Amino acid sequence: MISTRNIGMVAAAATLLAAAPLSAIFQGWTWLIESIIAVAVVAGVAALTRLARAPLWGQVLGMLAGLMLALTWLFPSGQELFAILPTPGTFAYFGDLLAGSMQDMRSYGVEVPDTDPLLFIAVLGVGGVAVLVDVLAVGLRRPALAGLPMLAIYSVPVAVYVDSVPAVPFVVGAAGYLWLLVTDNVDRVRRFGRRFTGDGRDVDVWEASPLASAGRRLAAVGVALAVVLPLAVPGMTGGLLDSLSRGPGNGTGNGSGSGGTSGRIDLFASLAGQLNQSQVADLVKVKTSEQNPFYLRYAVADELRPAGFQARSPSGRSVNRDLPNPADRAGPGVRQATYQATVEVTKSLSMSLMPVYAEPTRADDLSDNWLYDANQQVVFSNRENSRGRKYSFDYVRSTFTPDALRTAKPLPTEHPVRRQMTATPGPVPEVEELVKGLIQGKRTDYDRVLSIYQHFSADNGFSYRLSTESGSSGQDIVNFLTNKVGYCQQYAAAMAWLVRSAGIPARVAFGFTNGSKRDGDTFTLTNLNLHAWTEVYFDGAGWVPFDATPAYGVPGSTRSAWAPDTDAPEEPSPSSGATSAPTDPGASTESTGPDNADRDTDDGLSLGGTTPNEQPPVWPWWAAGLVALLVLLAVPALRRMALRRRRSGRAASGAMVSARVDGGSEPGARPVVVSADANRARADAHAAWAELLDTLVDFRVPVDPTETPRATADRLVRDSLDDDDAIGSARLLGRAEERARYARDPLTGEGLLPALRAVRAALATRADRRTRLLAAVLPPSVLLRWRTAMADRSGRMVALTGQARYRLLRWNPRRLLADRAAR
Amino acid sequence: MTQQTWDEVGGLLPHDEFRAASEAIVANIEQVIEGKTATVRLALAVLLAEGHLLIEDVPGVGKTKLAKALARSIDCTVRRIQFTPDLLPSDVTGVSVYNQETHDFEFRPGAVFANLVVGDEINRASPKTQSALLECMEERQVTVDGVTYQLQTPFMVIATQNPIEMEGTYPLPEAQRDRFTARIAMGYPDSNAELAMLDGHGATDPLHELRAVSDAAIVRQLIATVRQVHVADAVKQYAIDLVTATREAPDLRLGASPRATLQLLRTARAVAALEGRDYVLPDDLQALAVPVLAHRIIPTADAQLARRTTDAIVSELVHRLPLPHDRQRNPYDTRPPATGNGRAPYEPRRP
Repeated sequence: MISTRNIGMVAAAATLLAAAPLSAIFQGWTWLIESIIAVAVVAGVAALTRLARAPLWGQVLGMLAGLMLALTWLFPSGQELFAILPTPGTFAYFGDLLAGSMQDMRSYGVEVPDTDPLLFIAVLGVGGVAVLVDVLAVGLRRPALAGLPMLAIYSVPVAVYVDSVPAVPFVVGAAGYLWLLVTDNVDRVRRFGRRFTGDGRDVDVWEASPLASAGRRLAAVGVALAVVLPLAVPGMTGGLLDSLSRGPGNGTGNGSGSGGTSGRIDLFASLAGQLNQSQVADLVKVKTSEQNPFYLRYAVADELRPAGFQARSPSGRSVNRDLPNPADRAGPGVRQATYQATVEVTKSLSMSLMPVYAEPTRADDLSDNWLYDANQQVVFSNRENSRGRKYSFDYVRSTFTPDALRTAKPLPTEHPVRRQMTATPGPVPEVEELVKGLIQGKRTDYDRVLSIYQHFSADNGFSYRLSTESGSSGQDIVNFLTNKVGYCQQYAAAMAWLVRSAGIPARVAFGFTNGSKRDGDTFTLTNLNLHAWTEVYFDGAGWVPFDATPAYGVPGSTRSAWAPDTDAPEEPSPSSGATSAPTDPGASTESTGPDNADRDTDDGLSLGGTTPNEQPPVWPWWAAGLVALLVLLAVPALRRMALRRRRSGRAASGAMVSARVDGGSEPGARPVVVSADANRARADAHAAWAELLDTLVDFRVPVDPTETPRATADRLVRDSLDDDDAIGSARLLGRAEERARYARDPLTGEGLLPALRAVRAALATRADRRTRLLAAVLPPSVLLRWRTAMADRSGRMVALTGQARYRLLRWNPRRLLADRAAR
Repeated sequence: MTQQTWDEVGGLLPHDEFRAASEAIVANIEQVIEGKTATVRLALAVLLAEGHLLIEDVPGVGKTKLAKALARSIDCTVRRIQFTPDLLPSDVTGVSVYNQETHDFEFRPGAVFANLVVGDEINRASPKTQSALLECMEERQVTVDGVTYQLQTPFMVIATQNPIEMEGTYPLPEAQRDRFTARIAMGYPDSNAELAMLDGHGATDPLHELRAVSDAAIVRQLIATVRQVHVADAVKQYAIDLVTATREAPDLRLGASPRATLQLLRTARAVAALEGRDYVLPDDLQALAVPVLAHRIIPTADAQLARRTTDAIVSELVHRLPLPHDRQRNPYDTRPPATGNGRAPYEPRRP
């Protein structure tokens, strides 16, 4: 009884230790005190019920009742009897608390303040886990299972935190779990009585048992598997194969500390959907020296799926290092100006990406954990999030005249940007047709893009609505192009798709418009200002934004000279921040700058913003893997064939030779067998017999090592053969082997090979199709032999290590102690 | 009475004659004992293996009939001893009697001086009398008053006994049991054989009409031929493995003796020869393991409590033991060599 109570107390303590990860969620420590009270009540009630020898269900009911009383006392509603007895009003209050906790979970980010609803749900969870752990560890004596509810607690911060969770609380929880396991095991061992060695010496409770080595080995294998398996499986973050297949490529990503991947936030420009905006929250405050800034960006989606654009994980280097300078893209018709901006993220926005204006050149107040992806032009982190941060940065705003963009040459087909950023998920005929019509007669890339851009105008019937309509085509892109209603995501994604179809690189950018709350040079951006637009790549100009969403649907939308508001009747939008530079007639001819398309392939960093990290095609790996797999699968069959050929070759030659000798001897006399011939006949019989046994194994006829050849042949005839020819053959093989093994003279002059063939054919006709297939493709005999060889080798190794251990044990101090005690 | 040493046997018999002679004996016995071919052949095999036969079964299944039929089929000297509780050792071996005329002691040979000795109900005699057979059965000689008398070849003791659980019996001592080459049980006849028995034995005893089909000389030749049967090394190894397995079996207090190995192999030779082979098979050993080994071994008290008969233990051993041809020693079987100081660590200290 004492030991059971002991385990119960350990279970309660282990539950509390396992709750340690919650400390990462709460700001205060109230939850801990209340959890301790709840768990203590549960453990006390459990001990009492066990003292009263209540059955298991009684213990469970008691613990649940104790938990209920503790919760009632901890979270009073004012309607209880004697402050601890719950009334219906209490339960109603609990219901309110649960509902409130849902609300709080949505409204607070980590770390949360000590609100009653959150505390209630935390204490309820910990108390429930305490009940479960107690039942599993003490009631059912399965403490290993108690790890599952403990792990459930740990999964809470994992689910809440975007980035990695601190490790220390997990270590604490794991220590609690181990404590529980050890206590249970010690108790289990004690039930046998006192342990003592053969020397008659007592063994301390904590001394490892001889079985512990097996446990250690298992643990080592488990840890190795847990570490290696995720490394090898692609798709898990930081997968070894992922980084291998990505290759050293960019040089800036994938560094041990400076790079990596981030994700989790659903950055998906879907081509269908609905915007749900019920609440308004301030997300970002921006202060910039630019008069009319373009949109604040934070993410890019450039992987086109049938349902829309998806964000890839960014990779890059620390923002505090030198950032690429876009100044070298300056040219006629391109105006560049450097501005300063300060961004203050409120506590409501928590993500691993940081909103910045396009092309920052220097950042302040950001730690080295923030990385800059020069290709996507986004700032991200794998460890921190943006919640409540304030930082400032310099950025370069480039504006272009339409003519400057017209001078941009089309990218060569093999250019990485072109190859990657024009990929579409299979041809959609409607889209192809539309694009073909739109770009007909347009000579330059810019004109083509502009034509596509203007297609999304009100003239063509496009309008803004917060939800899309479903269509009948089965493809979201076609539905949108037909229904012509949607919001910014659809416009951005559809335009990017059409531009890509025209062979021009395009992607979708996410960010904030300038919003409607402006106070001098400070913009306050809310979740209503979240926006998506299209970016098109022009050689020499880089990524140029186009916003195809109707301006009336987007508060604070901005238009530029190269992408005028198509719905405005005449002039470019008055809110346009770009100065319409006078058209330079010489621009088209003066475009004598260095060929950027060539340059950025070998000088990726200087123009790094334009080189996506290239992903080599995957199919050769798959093909190679498939071929390797096939070869690997074919090895047993090949081995079996080689074995059979060797054996049958021996049997055939033997039969021929002995037949000749028999023919030469006089009729009636005993066959003259010279000794060499006898040896050969013996070898033949053995080979034929070994082949027969392998065939039996292949066809799943049991083979018994205690059976003599005669008995095996008899059993074969009795159980597995019904054809007279095969029966005779099996008997012949058995007799030949028997005489080869045990008689003075082996059997000679018999056709062992035809006999083998007959038996095999008879077995094959009786076997079902699966067995036949396996016998041909994966012969069990070969596999069995390999397995046996492996087992033998490992057994020998175990024996060797055992000997080594014995030798080492001579130096074990424990042994010396034992000797002295004996003396 | 011609004295012949035990090694003097006749010349070899050709294959066909061997077969004819042995088949004739078997067929002759089968006129009396219906439907028990295997038992009859085993009995003959024991004779050809120069061994002794113990027939153990409940009363009335034809133990004595088999013994007498075998004796009658061979034209040689036959004696029968009815073992009773008051039988004395001198009745078995012989006694020196004072001759008034010659004024000298004269040896009167006992019942064992014959080619075939049928000892009926051997476990009804006192252990003292049973022990009188010890010397003659193994060494084929009798020593009375310091004078040793050789016995003739062939010499075979066929003893019958009731199972020792029956009342009024003295179980045979281990040394005595070990001298019997094989112990066979008659078993009840099947219904057809029993019907034939009713038809045949109804009026007269067929034993009286039995004529000898062979004589001692032919039997000696048969024995010589059996000695020539080839035993491959693998078969010898298998016999050793079998006997070793009885010594190592956890269920057994006493395993089989080296004499058992020898007699197992001899009987196997005889069985092989009777089947027309000139080489021994492991099959022969497997078939003989129970008759030859089971009566020599003693199960542990635990096995006895579990009602495990020695027959069952031996046949289980046979089913578990791999053939030496395929046998590979598992590394787990071999013990690690003793460590430097001559005793293994943690070796339990014996009280």
